[in-house]
Amino acid sequence: MSLLSMQNITKSFGGLYANKDVHLTVGKGEIHALLGENGAGKTTLMNILYGIYQADSGSIDINGVAVRIRSPKEAITHKIGMVHQHFMLVSTLTVSQNITLGLREKGYPFTDRKLVDRKIARLCDEYGLKVRPSDVIAAISVGARQRVEIIKLLYHEAELLILDEPTAVLTPHEIDSLFNVLRRLRKNGHAVIIITHRIAEVMSIADRVTVLRDGQNVASLDIEETSSSHLSELMIGRRLETLTRPVTASGPGSETPVRLSAKGISLYGETKKILDNISLDIGRGEILGLAGVDGNGQKELAETLIGIRKSDDGQIILDGKDISHLGVKKRKGLGVAYVPDDRHHDGLILDMDVVSNLMLSTYDQSPFSRKKLLNTKVCREHATKKTLEYRVKSSSVKAQVRCLSGGNQQRLILARELHGYPKLIVACQPTRGLDIGAEAFVHKILLQQKARGVSILLISADLDQIMALSDHIAVIFEGRITGVLKNDGKLELSQIGLKMAGLTGAAA
Amino acid sequence: MRLVREVISFAAILAVTSLAAAVLVIAVGSDITKALNSFFAGIFGSFYSLTEVLVRATPLILAGLGVAVAFQARFFNIGAEGQLYMGAVAATWIGLYLPHLPIILHLTLAMACGFLLGGLWALIPGFLKGQFQISEVINTIMFNYIAINLVGILVRTVMTNPESPLPMSARLPDDLHLPLMAEPTRLHGGLAIALGCSVLVYFFLYKTTWGFEIRSVGVNPRACSCAGISVKKNIVVSSLVSGGLAGLAGSSEILGIHQRLMEGISPEFGYVAIIVALLGKNHPLGVVLAGLGIAALQMGANTMQRRTGVPASISLIIMGLLVVLILGRRYFINPSPNAAA
Repeated sequence: MSLLSMQNITKSFGGLYANKDVHLTVGKGEIHALLGENGAGKTTLMNILYGIYQADSGSIDINGVAVRIRSPKEAITHKIGMVHQHFMLVSTLTVSQNITLGLREKGYPFTDRKLVDRKIARLCDEYGLKVRPSDVIAAISVGARQRVEIIKLLYHEAELLILDEPTAVLTPHEIDSLFNVLRRLRKNGHAVIIITHRIAEVMSIADRVTVLRDGQNVASLDIEETSSSHLSELMIGRRLETLTRPVTASGPGSETPVRLSAKGISLYGETKKILDNISLDIGRGEILGLAGVDGNGQKELAETLIGIRKSDDGQIILDGKDISHLGVKKRKGLGVAYVPDDRHHDGLILDMDVVSNLMLSTYDQSPFSRKKLLNTKVCREHATKKTLEYRVKSSSVKAQVRCLSGGNQQRLILARELHGYPKLIVACQPTRGLDIGAEAFVHKILLQQKARGVSILLISADLDQIMALSDHIAVIFEGRITGVLKNDGKLELSQIGLKMAGLTGAAA
Repeated sequence: MRLVREVISFAAILAVTSLAAAVLVIAVGSDITKALNSFFAGIFGSFYSLTEVLVRATPLILAGLGVAVAFQARFFNIGAEGQLYMGAVAATWIGLYLPHLPIILHLTLAMACGFLLGGLWALIPGFLKGQFQISEVINTIMFNYIAINLVGILVRTVMTNPESPLPMSARLPDDLHLPLMAEPTRLHGGLAIALGCSVLVYFFLYKTTWGFEIRSVGVNPRACSCAGISVKKNIVVSSLVSGGLAGLAGSSEILGIHQRLMEGISPEFGYVAIIVALLGKNHPLGVVLAGLGIAALQMGANTMQRRTGVPASISLIIMGLLVVLILGRRYFINPSPNAAA
């Protein structure tokens, strides 16, 4: 009999399925990996198990008994514990105080701290978790904070531990010691679910793996019966529709003159390098696809190229001119356009109207304004023209952008960013969350721009899209470029997939 | 559907505040009809009472405009009171210590310096917020204490009137006065300045690129920095304009009413201005209407206190209630603001 069995779990947010008929079975003493891309529904499923969300339908059995989990508090009584991606610790309190937070220990509110500390020390010894109970959270490393979170669960006598992307914040050495802890937990009969999108980790630590894609089960497998390349295929999936990339005059190849050249760009985070010595060249009329699993530095690279972030190292050269020290506005003036991945926060001002959003980059240029005075009439006419040209459907140009559908919002961003003939477009996940029609429109626009000689950096987690549109494909993994491949029609999906998983050495 | 909810919510707010007012009047043992009569007599009772409402509305509109400009940039300026006092200090200083100027020039200079010093007073928290993300709420409140107590020191030391034992400055020259518009009432040119400023602020916010930037930064700073609009610059600019307008409220009180600097020239105009901006939805026209409305409420309540003994503080209770209800209103209109994560 399995420790946990989730059956037919379905959960939707505003009509969009985050989980659809998902099954998950975990046995005692098992490390179970939940694998999938960002947005595949892994965290939603675990939040349902932990009582943060309620499933719309489906059942949860623990030790064969059907249960309803309405809150994290109830999850804890079922001996389920979760370590969130962002730790839930009070940084001004000590390790020991954090662990007993919310518990009514014997003698509460006059807790015998020494007794608690001894119990914590015993748990630390047993599982090889190095933490001092008297240390203040603010003073210890990220890795140590994670250990505190795990001890907290063990102190609460959790039998099933859920770890959400536990390795995302760790250095390689810390990952090794975390895995040692997980192995000891397994030996003592605990079950562990680890949420991850890193295939290498699944292969090295998990006993079983469940793959989710677009909120649905793809497979549940024993590790012995699968391989890295098989998992990457399952995780990324294939779509039936194929795009054909028209051969253009300024077609593919390195013989075209270089438009953008990034030289040795590095960006340092708190614990590790977010971008590590990235060098890329994009020619005129070339689409360079940047493939990679989300969160490997793509967004940071895009923001560095646009000027929202300043790189700690390296140079950005546009048409022979060093633009590394210019701000966003100056770079835009030189012809750099940005299609951000987060439409709602980075791309649009949802509570303003179509007109305002369309002139967010150009409001200070003639004819939209002269000598700081806005010409509202010209702005409105411009908006009417652009909404027709880009087929943005809205009740009027004075309508709030919030009321537009995702596809129309993206068309609006394209209309704005492509105004004034850019030289370089940095497109970050330009079709994420769009329906097929809007997606095709975005593809068409990008290819049109390419035909005009515009250089495009296409950042996408959708490999089919990258394969269909790019002349060259660069793969990013943990802030490093793990390879640049020429997309000459002979390229295999699995070649990219392995590089995306950081397995540079193992050729397919 | 949304419109219906809007109308219902405003009707409900009106009903709740009226009910609360009625309960309060009865609780102090007064007669409702008599109280109501005296309340409206305080506003519409005579030409004089009407002009007094306008006199009261003048600083509320000016400081309210200031708060609204800051709120549009999501710079929560709680310091209009302090900025108002600094404007008063600047105007008095120019009036007292810069003699022998043509009157028009002198008045203009005094008002301009009031704008400038008030603006500078808000600029410091504005810079701290823009550059270091230090909470402007705390800083502007602290700057209120500094400004108010600075006035207390000034009127006892460097700016004191040597011929009087009272803590106040000397009186400004008689002709250095904003033109009176309807003698013998106290209605002065400050009202025209306030109305003029509301037109200017409307123009600034909605017809210039500066205003466009400020409004955009206020709604979504993140998208603005992605589009190349400097968030820092706009917070600083909005704080300067905001404090300047509050400073104008102070100079207009000095040059239009008091003619000298002293403590307590503002019965919390700067704080009530926050309510004015809130009620006026941070729109210049709304601020004018809200300023007039709040001024009428206060003047009516004062008369009610004189004639029937109902404490004038009832107007404060009603204002407080109004703010809470208006802030809570959006949850009525849009019951589940963040259902999905």
